[in-house]
Amino acid sequence: MSDSVLTVRRKGLGGEATLAYALLAPAVLLMIIFMVYPIFYVFVISLFKTDKLSRIKDFAGFSIYADLLSSKDIWIVIGRSLLWTVTAVLAKTIFGIAIALLLNVKYKGRKIARLLFIIPWASSIPISVMLWRWVLHSEFGLLNHTLKITGLMSNPPVWLGQGGTAFMACLWVDIWIGIPFMALVFLAAMQAVPQTLYEAAKIDGATRYQRFRYVTLPGISAILLIATLLSSLWTFNDFNTIYILTQGGPAGATNILITYVYQNSFEWLKWQKASALSVFTFLILSTVSIIYSRIYFKKEEM
Amino acid sequence: MKKILIVFALIVILSVTSTSLFANGQKEKSGPAKSTVTFWLADYEGIDHDFVKQIASAFEAKYPQYKMDLVIVDWNALHDKLTTALAAGTPPDASVIGTRWLLEFMDLGAVVQPKKYVSQSTFDNIAPGAMEAKINGTLWGIPFAAGSRFMAINTSLSDKVPATMEDLEKDAIAATKNGNYGLIMPGAKHTELSDFVYYFYAAGGNFFDANGKCTVNSAAGVKALNFMLKLIDTDKVVQKGFLSQDRKQAQPIFFAGKAAYVMIGAWADTEYNKVSPSWKIKYAQIPPFAGNKPAPLIVTDSIALYKDGKNLEGIGKFIDFLYQDKWKAPLDKQMGFPPVTISASKRPEFQTPMYKAMAEANLHAKGWPLVTGWAEASSIIMDATQKAYLHQMSAKDALDWAAAAVDKARGK
Repeated sequence: MSDSVLTVRRKGLGGEATLAYALLAPAVLLMIIFMVYPIFYVFVISLFKTDKLSRIKDFAGFSIYADLLSSKDIWIVIGRSLLWTVTAVLAKTIFGIAIALLLNVKYKGRKIARLLFIIPWASSIPISVMLWRWVLHSEFGLLNHTLKITGLMSNPPVWLGQGGTAFMACLWVDIWIGIPFMALVFLAAMQAVPQTLYEAAKIDGATRYQRFRYVTLPGISAILLIATLLSSLWTFNDFNTIYILTQGGPAGATNILITYVYQNSFEWLKWQKASALSVFTFLILSTVSIIYSRIYFKKEEM
Repeated sequence: MKKILIVFALIVILSVTSTSLFANGQKEKSGPAKSTVTFWLADYEGIDHDFVKQIASAFEAKYPQYKMDLVIVDWNALHDKLTTALAAGTPPDASVIGTRWLLEFMDLGAVVQPKKYVSQSTFDNIAPGAMEAKINGTLWGIPFAAGSRFMAINTSLSDKVPATMEDLEKDAIAATKNGNYGLIMPGAKHTELSDFVYYFYAAGGNFFDANGKCTVNSAAGVKALNFMLKLIDTDKVVQKGFLSQDRKQAQPIFFAGKAAYVMIGAWADTEYNKVSPSWKIKYAQIPPFAGNKPAPLIVTDSIALYKDGKNLEGIGKFIDFLYQDKWKAPLDKQMGFPPVTISASKRPEFQTPMYKAMAEANLHAKGWPLVTGWAEASSIIMDATQKAYLHQMSAKDALDWAAAAVDKARGK
C-alpha cells in the first residue's frame, strides 16, 4: 500500500478524502434518488394491495410471492426468460468474436466493413424490430419470398404464427441487434493484445487456432466477462423485440419476465403482482451480476 | 481544508449561476408567456398527420396565448401510455380514448365532466345517439368517432353477398382459388379482441351476464369459435399466417386484391383509395348465423378530459375549435368514420355507399361491454382463442378456461 493512501487513512476525513467525498456526494445522492429508492419502493408495493394508480392501500405481506411461486405460469415464464438469455448471449458472443476476428485482420476496405457491422446497433431498436416484423410477414415478407424463389423452401413457416417459430424469430432479431456491440467491444479488446505475444507464439510454432486459444482468448477474457454480463442484463430485459414482434403471443408462447411485468402493470394495472415480478427479475439479475463480479475480481487478483 | 471548501463552494456557485443564466436565456427567447395545451390524438388508419399539424397551428393563430401540443399516439400504445401518465400524475389535458376504457378511468377518479369546459353549442351539434359515454345521466366523454363494423367484398373474386355466416362459408370456399383467399381474419393480439367478436355477436353471444359473470363460454361462444376453426382448418379459406397478423398486417392482403371478404371498419374507403386497385369494392353487413339476428360490433371513441390536466380551460377552447366543420369533417373523412356532429353529417362526402352500409349496420349494432377490467378480460379471451387456433385446447375448453380466468381477474 502506498504512503499517500496510508496518510489519508490515518487522517480520517481530512484533506483529499473530504474533497473526494464532497465530489462524490451529488452522484451518490442521485443514485439513491433514482436507483435505490425506486428499487426499495417497488419492493414495498409488492407487499401491499394497491389501487389502479399504484397507490398503496392495505398491507398484504408476502402473500403475492406465495401466489406467484405456486403458479405454474410464472415458472414457465422464468424458464423461458433464462433460455432466451442464455441462447441469445451465447450466440451474440460466438458471432461477436468471429466477426471481431475478421475485422481485426488487415485488408482493403476494412474500415467500410467495420462501419457496416455497426449499422444494426446504431439504428433505433424499435424501428429495426418493426422492419423485421415486415421481413417475417408470411404474405409480403422478404424472408419467405427469398426462401421460395431460391427454392430453399417451397412452403416456408409462418414465423410469428406458431409458438416455437415465433420464439426463434424473436431470438434471432435480438441476436441480430446485439451482435455489433459485442463485435465492437471484442475488436477493441483484441487490438489491445500486444503483437509481440503473437510474434512469439508464431516463432514457437503455434497454429492459428493455438494463437487464438492461448493468446487472444486470455487477452480478451476480462472484456469478455464484462461484455457478456452487460449483454445478459440487456437481453434478459429486452422488452422491445418481443413486444413489437409478438406482444408475448401467440397464446403467451413468447412471454418473458419483462413482457409479463409490462402486461401486469401497464395493461392490466396489477401493480402488486407486477412489483413482485420485478423483484424476481432484480434478484435473478443481481445473482448473475454477483457471480460475474466475483469471477472478474478473482481474475484481477490473479 | 479551507482551500478545499472554497473550491467546492465555487463549483456549486458556478453551476447554479450557469443554470440560472441558461434559464434566463430561455425566457428571453420565448417572449410573452404561453400556456401549453396538451391533447393526445389516436393514430387512426388514414389520418393525415400534416392536417393534424395544421389544426394545431390554426388554433395557436386564433388563440396566441396557447401553445398547442397535439400528440398523435399509436392505438396499440395509447391505453398503456395513458395509464402510465395517469399513475405518474402527468396526463395530457385531454385525449381520445376507446369509450370502453372510460369506466376504468372513472374508477381511477381520473376524468372530469367535459361540460364544465366545453361550450354548450359544441354539445348541441353532436348527435344524441352518439353519446355512449353518458353514464347514469352524466356525460363523461365527448363523442369523437362512432362506427359499426361491416363487410367489404372484392367483387373481382366474389360478387355474392352472404345472408348468413353459413353462406359466407360457402362463398369463401368458392372464392379460395388461384392463390387467393376467401376470407381475411387477423389472429394476433391487437387493441381490440379482433375478429372473434364478430362471430360471437353473430351467434347471439354476450360477454357478461347481468351479475357480471363472464359468459364467453356460452353456446354462442363455442359455436362462434368452432366455426372460425372450421374456416381455418377444414375449409382453409383464411389467409396463411393469420395468427401472426394483427389488423394492420392482415388487411393489406385484402387491399392487395388477394382475398374476397374482410370484416372491416370505417377506414375501408381510405385504404381502398390509397391503393386504387383495378377491382371494385362492395360493402355489406356482417351476416348473423342462421336463425340469429344481425349484431355487428359498433365501436365508439370519446374524448376524456383529465382531472390532473394542467390546462383544462385551454383544452375546452381547443375542443370547441376542433369540432367546427372546417376541421372535424375532414378529419372524420380521413378516419373514415361517419361524423358525430349533426352539421357535418349532412355534407355530400358522407353520403357514399360505405357510409350507407355503416348507417344500416348501426340499426342492430352492439358495443363492447362497458365493464371494469375489460383490458385484462379481452387479453385472456384473445389468449384462449389463440390456444384453440393452435390446437392446444378445444374451443369449449379454451373458452371455459377464459371465462374462469376472467371471473377470477375481475373478482367475480
